Amino acid sequence: MSNFINRRKFIAGSALSAAGLLMSEHTAGLNKPENQIASISNANRPSSYNLMKEVMKYRKIDSHVHAHLFDGGPEGNIAFADRLGIDKMFVSRPAYNGEGTPKEFRSYNDLMLDCMKQYPDRLIGQFTANAIYQKESLEEIKRCVDLGMVGLKVYTQLKINNPLFYPIIEKMIDLKMIIHMHAYAQLGLGGYRMKYDVGIRPNTSIPEDFVEIAKRYPEAMFQYAHIGGGGDWEYTCKSFVHYPNIYVDTSGSNNPENMIDSAMKLLGEDRLFFGSDNCYYQSVGKILASNLTENQKKKVFFDNYNAILRRSGNNID
Amino acid sequence: MLIDINAYVGHWPFQQLKYNTCEALLQRMNKFGVDVSVISNLNGIFYKNTQSANEELYEEIRSNSKFKDRFIPFAVINPIYAGWRDDLETCVTKLDMKGVRIYPKYHDFDIIDPACIELVKRVRDYGLPVAFNYRMVDSRQRSWMDIGYVVGTAKKEWNLKDIIPIIKAVPDAKYMILNFANAAVLSPEEINLVKNTDLIFDTSGRTITNMAEFLNLYGTNKFAFGTHSPILDYLTGLLRIESLYSNEADENTKELLRSGNAKRMLGL
Amino acid sequence: MSGLSRRKFVCGTAFSAAGIVMSDGFSGFIPRSNSGSNSSSESSEKKYNIMQEVMKYRKIDSHVHVNLSSTNSEVQKKFAEVLMNYSERMKVEKLMLSNPVTRLINSIPDGRPESFIANNNSVLGVMKIYPKIFSGSFTFNPVHAKESMDEIKRCVDLGMVNAKAYYQTKINDPSYYPIVEKMIDLKMVIHMHAEAQIGVGGYRMKYNGYKPLNVSIPDDFVDIAKRYPEAIFQYAHIGGGGDWEYMCKTLKNSPNVYVDTSGSNNEENLIDFAVKQLGENRVLFGSDNCYYQCVGKILASNLNESQMKKIFFENYNNLLRKGGRNVD
Repeated sequence: MSNFINRRKFIAGSALSAAGLLMSEHTAGLNKPENQIASISNANRPSSYNLMKEVMKYRKIDSHVHAHLFDGGPEGNIAFADRLGIDKMFVSRPAYNGEGTPKEFRSYNDLMLDCMKQYPDRLIGQFTANAIYQKESLEEIKRCVDLGMVGLKVYTQLKINNPLFYPIIEKMIDLKMIIHMHAYAQLGLGGYRMKYDVGIRPNTSIPEDFVEIAKRYPEAMFQYAHIGGGGDWEYTCKSFVHYPNIYVDTSGSNNPENMIDSAMKLLGEDRLFFGSDNCYYQSVGKILASNLTENQKKKVFFDNYNAILRRSGNNID
Repeated sequence: MLIDINAYVGHWPFQQLKYNTCEALLQRMNKFGVDVSVISNLNGIFYKNTQSANEELYEEIRSNSKFKDRFIPFAVINPIYAGWRDDLETCVTKLDMKGVRIYPKYHDFDIIDPACIELVKRVRDYGLPVAFNYRMVDSRQRSWMDIGYVVGTAKKEWNLKDIIPIIKAVPDAKYMILNFANAAVLSPEEINLVKNTDLIFDTSGRTITNMAEFLNLYGTNKFAFGTHSPILDYLTGLLRIESLYSNEADENTKELLRSGNAKRMLGL
Repeated sequence: MSGLSRRKFVCGTAFSAAGIVMSDGFSGFIPRSNSGSNSSSESSEKKYNIMQEVMKYRKIDSHVHVNLSSTNSEVQKKFAEVLMNYSERMKVEKLMLSNPVTRLINSIPDGRPESFIANNNSVLGVMKIYPKIFSGSFTFNPVHAKESMDEIKRCVDLGMVNAKAYYQTKINDPSYYPIVEKMIDLKMVIHMHAEAQIGVGGYRMKYNGYKPLNVSIPDDFVDIAKRYPEAIFQYAHIGGGGDWEYMCKTLKNSPNVYVDTSGSNNEENLIDFAVKQLGENRVLFGSDNCYYQCVGKILASNLNESQMKKIFFENYNNLLRKGGRNVD
């Protein structure tokens, strides 16, 4: 306590002038940045970039988004679709958890059908299935297509190149619809460098699995899910350079700088789809921040996926 | 003429390096009389996708016309990473790379992994050398984030015995074995393999404690000047050559060490 | 004066090969009236001549050993020739030889008095072979207080000039106090093996470096140097493989700790960094029997000529001068 008083006395008494000097220096220091900002010449100012204007400039189809999975029903999807100018969302509810029995996947598809009814102008459902139940899956695909769903979304029950998938892929070829498969490139997952086994989802499809099935069915169309989903996107894109029937969507919670440019450099401008995987800010931000031309951005946000839809006559005008 | 077969540009993520750009290295070369340096990009050791590092190196060399004659770029290729065959072809046919440096420990594959054997064979078929090294830095001063090959532990630093298996697997490739840093007792069969292979060691490694003895053991055609710059100092590798007495190495032999052996392997 | 002793050095050892190297070295300096063309003589003048640079500097090696693996006098005699070869080739005019007990018995350092006495005897034997070039350091183990004190007295009487200790006991262990005090009286350097490696000697022991427990680390030197500011400590081999940035930063504010630059590692920037952190007076040339790196790392640095002189020779000579044992 006495120390404290001494110290205060010291400041009040003996060192007034020094303290005053320090204060005024400090004040001057505070003023300085203001002066500095004020003195930026016009020529040296940054250009005025209007981000929301850029966001709204592009029509968008979200090729990878979920409802009733992470963040509630379709109201949330629509709120973000409005906020970020997303015209159409291809919503899905894959067998993310549970066994993926026919009962389960039918109920998931029913949920998506309900979403479509609720927002018929904005939401289109991707149907899900489980190739382990081959007969039931094929029947379910027919049911869903008849009810207006477009495209297959599948998960980690089976690898994409498992022979049980063959009849389903052949069906999708007939339908001229894309097969959208959850995918990863992570050390120790799904057969990729298993000395680092992380012990999860052993049947996750990895880039090599896509390459194998894409070679077997060159007329099929595959969508490798979320290169921004946390995996090694360089590894992924480098794997697909020579396989034109594999497309990638840019969704996922990760938005590394240079991912979009790098993917475009490796895969060309026709094989990238905009997608959010419900990570809405990143989904748009990563594409706007890239060095893509306006035309390329249009393709990624809208035209590329629409071209896929066109093959089955489901394109958006 | 003086050719350094073991130099780098780029970063070491755990320690600041000096002279680690083409510009700074060129000044170093000019100061100490080095005509040409074989370089690769250190970043390629740390990037998963090593091709980005190769592209960086290509761009850096292109950035100034005076670099072209003075640097010989080597690619860094990881044969267990996607797209490496494309990358190798691009490096050789488009990026003017004249050899490949391979890092099994950093890129985490066995030296006789089928992928590594395939890489060495492909480089051989281009008529170019591959380079392996004993180590990049002394493990005793390694960062906690560096690889765990540590002197005095069960997972030790490499010596020549750890590199010989790839030479055995592809005996007709050209090898540069860099930074001779740990001793090993070789069997007569292994010594013969080394002698009969188109192989050169550079002079940067600490295990070369007496240059004359190493010349006697392996032959005067087996060594070439190397610095391991910018990790090791710029002169010790040269001192091993220049401090040889004339009764240990005549001028012709010294010229082989300064540049002759390197020229032969690089096809210059 | 220094010119004279240098000439004496060359004459005395009289290896014709050294003469050839020297004259090769000088030829770069001497303008040749009969040279083929101006341009070639110009380029030869400009050209960096490494051996000329090597020969330019007098040197005292502050950290060098006799053969560490044998006390057999024939083996040591043979090794003395290796040391002389180095002395000639790199122009090192004084070698501070030592033979610390590095042997491990069941992973524990041999700390027996008979072992350090035998090792000192091997150094004393080698010193006699080339007494003008070879000087010696004695070793001991402070845990054996009386035997160590007796041994120090014996060795000093026989002409040894400083202390060299190893990893039997940490430098800041209280058992060292009487030894340090003795060394203060003698005005001699205490040269201690030291490391800075994760998992060694108490530094980040979650990483096991598989080394004896009592290896001294930079922090131990700081501790003892603070307790005895008048003592002189030599932190061994910053090029010995450890983390030299850690070493130099730790020792920065301990003015009575010197470092020697020896060791098999010759990282670019090691010397410049050490001088920047510790100043040009606290860095000592040493080889630890790595005969190329020791000289190469200093010549490759950005030190000016005067700083190189200090490191190669003067700094250590100044320490010797404190006890009147300097060269000249």
